[in-house]
Amino acid sequence: MNLTPKRIFGESPKRIFGEGWIDALPAMVILALTVAFLIVGYRYPPLARQFPITVAWVILALAGLDIASRIDSPIGAALKDRLDRGGAAAEKIGSRRAQFGAVVWLAGFAVLLWLFGVLYAVPLYVFASLRLRGYRPWLRCLLGAATSTAIVWLLFSAALRIELYRGIIFGGA
Amino acid sequence: MLQLWWNGLHGLLQVRELMFLGLGMFVGLFFGAIPGLGGATALALLIPLTYGLDAFTALALAGGVMGGVPMGGSITAILLNAPGTAPSAATCLDGHPMARQGKAGLAIGAAASANAIGGIIGTISVLAILPIAKELVLLFGPPELFLLAVVGLVIVATASRGRMLRSLIAGGLGLMMSFVGYNDLTAVQRFTLGIPYLWDGVRVVPALIGLFAVAEMINLSVRGGAICDDPKTVQINSMMNGLLETFRHWRTVVRGSLIGTVVGAIPGVGGTVASFLSYSMAMQASKDPESFGKGNIDGVIAPEAAINAKDCSCLIPTLAFGIPSGAEMAVFLGILILHGLQPGPLMLIDHQVEIYGLIWALTASCVLASFVGLLFVRPLAMLTLLDSQILVPIVTAVALVGSYAIDRSIENVLLTAFFGILGYAMIRFEYPRLSMVVALVLGSTAERNFHQTMMMGDGNPFIFFNRTVCRVLIVLLIVLLVSPWLRGFAGNRRARILATQGSSR
Repeated sequence: MNLTPKRIFGESPKRIFGEGWIDALPAMVILALTVAFLIVGYRYPPLARQFPITVAWVILALAGLDIASRIDSPIGAALKDRLDRGGAAAEKIGSRRAQFGAVVWLAGFAVLLWLFGVLYAVPLYVFASLRLRGYRPWLRCLLGAATSTAIVWLLFSAALRIELYRGIIFGGA
Repeated sequence: MLQLWWNGLHGLLQVRELMFLGLGMFVGLFFGAIPGLGGATALALLIPLTYGLDAFTALALAGGVMGGVPMGGSITAILLNAPGTAPSAATCLDGHPMARQGKAGLAIGAAASANAIGGIIGTISVLAILPIAKELVLLFGPPELFLLAVVGLVIVATASRGRMLRSLIAGGLGLMMSFVGYNDLTAVQRFTLGIPYLWDGVRVVPALIGLFAVAEMINLSVRGGAICDDPKTVQINSMMNGLLETFRHWRTVVRGSLIGTVVGAIPGVGGTVASFLSYSMAMQASKDPESFGKGNIDGVIAPEAAINAKDCSCLIPTLAFGIPSGAEMAVFLGILILHGLQPGPLMLIDHQVEIYGLIWALTASCVLASFVGLLFVRPLAMLTLLDSQILVPIVTAVALVGSYAIDRSIENVLLTAFFGILGYAMIRFEYPRLSMVVALVLGSTAERNFHQTMMMGDGNPFIFFNRTVCRVLIVLLIVLLVSPWLRGFAGNRRARILATQGSSR
């Protein structure tokens, strides 16, 4: 039997809750994180955990309300109306691929910095970004990479006398 | 009294002092504009330069730096959504949407004039308050400071109309993050996941760079195009309109300046709370709160006025008690001590000329920095026309390296990247970042004051009801919590009446 999402969830596979499932995801993640926070928190001495645990229980209740407000029911609708009607319509949201890509590029740059240090990571990142995402000509990409590296070097190393990070591969701590 | 004010001003109006004041202002403007640096770094780097200066000139230099930083921070906050300094993060909320609508000139003009006027109102307030400063500061003990933190958080949450639940959750997450690290009271490392970097807690400045600068770069990269949605609409020539708008919104300026003055005078609270509180109050008072976050000019004027007013009043706890209100003031304390000026109640008596000179320097620097900022509006506003594919990698690179430069820690970069992704998720799912920032800043103060209060009252929470300022704050808290519900009921009733009238016609 072919188990497609459509067969499992019915005609509207993405609408587990009143909204698209992706919109309910943050509330569920927050709930899970808060439970983890509570589990860890209860390991600390009473005085050290008193305030954080109190806050965590409040967040747990709020996250529960957030999830409840997203369930397609009269109670959910009432909660949403009273507590979280939503503000203005969100601005244009890019495709999931574009969102994922942007996050991966940032994470990649942070890892590059950590591994290779500022003076290698910055030109590499700027060049790759201009070439692979911006589709700029080679020469412009090279110029952009050189200029941004020069800005970073002049600003932080020459003007502020800050020793730029050398990268874990090149002996940076 | 007037003689002392004049002596302070006269001391400052010397060529040498003015030169160092100008130098400090430019340094402050520059450092303020670079995300992650700010006043504390600028002052720390200038400490060696003050060795050869007399105390008055050193204070003129420091005053110049402190007065210039907010304007620098505002420029990048408006144009790039990258607050140069933590308090300027509040300016991003409406300043950057204005830039995207092509109103960068208007926003910077308004920010500059609000900055200058806020600084002047702050100075006047401080000059009036200084003689009675000691009594005022002593009114705020741990119970009052705890309640003030709670009031700050609730104001921000209730100000996010239509998103109160998500705002409270974001604030709660910010509080949970603020508990990470070494707890002074119990000498326990909490929630550090075994990572030594987190022993000092989640560092606010790298987190702010991530939440605002980097998150906005991710958003811009996903959205594509330039910062300004429609390049044809860029109005760089509306700077004078920005100045006029500030005068038109004089109530916001005065309110923001007074909030800045009061919050700045409370030790340990700082400029971030002042600017966000002022922003939230402007939103609460507005007839059109829905437009906040979408480019409402009140959302630029309110935090800007508060930031500069705060800069003057935070001298009160620093000078009178030696209690710095933030990192910048802590470094400034070092300069004072280096020049033989021991902060404390005696300083208010023995070094009055220097104190008044410093206050004038700070004010002059605020006004000068605003003028210089206005001069550069045109070239700076052109930044909003740059294609995101060019801007994003360059700003991301400078922001992450700036985060590293705070204390030469590569872990800062990873933290900034983490908060950048978190900030983008918050934009995407419409969780207000504002609440998280305020909670992150206030969390440790709130917890410390809560425990101290409990100790003072032998574990009895009724201590909060025995103190006058606490009672006032509790009433304020109740009003804040109830007001959205009352507003909702009033709105529903009005809608019902209108519907009835409509159907009867």
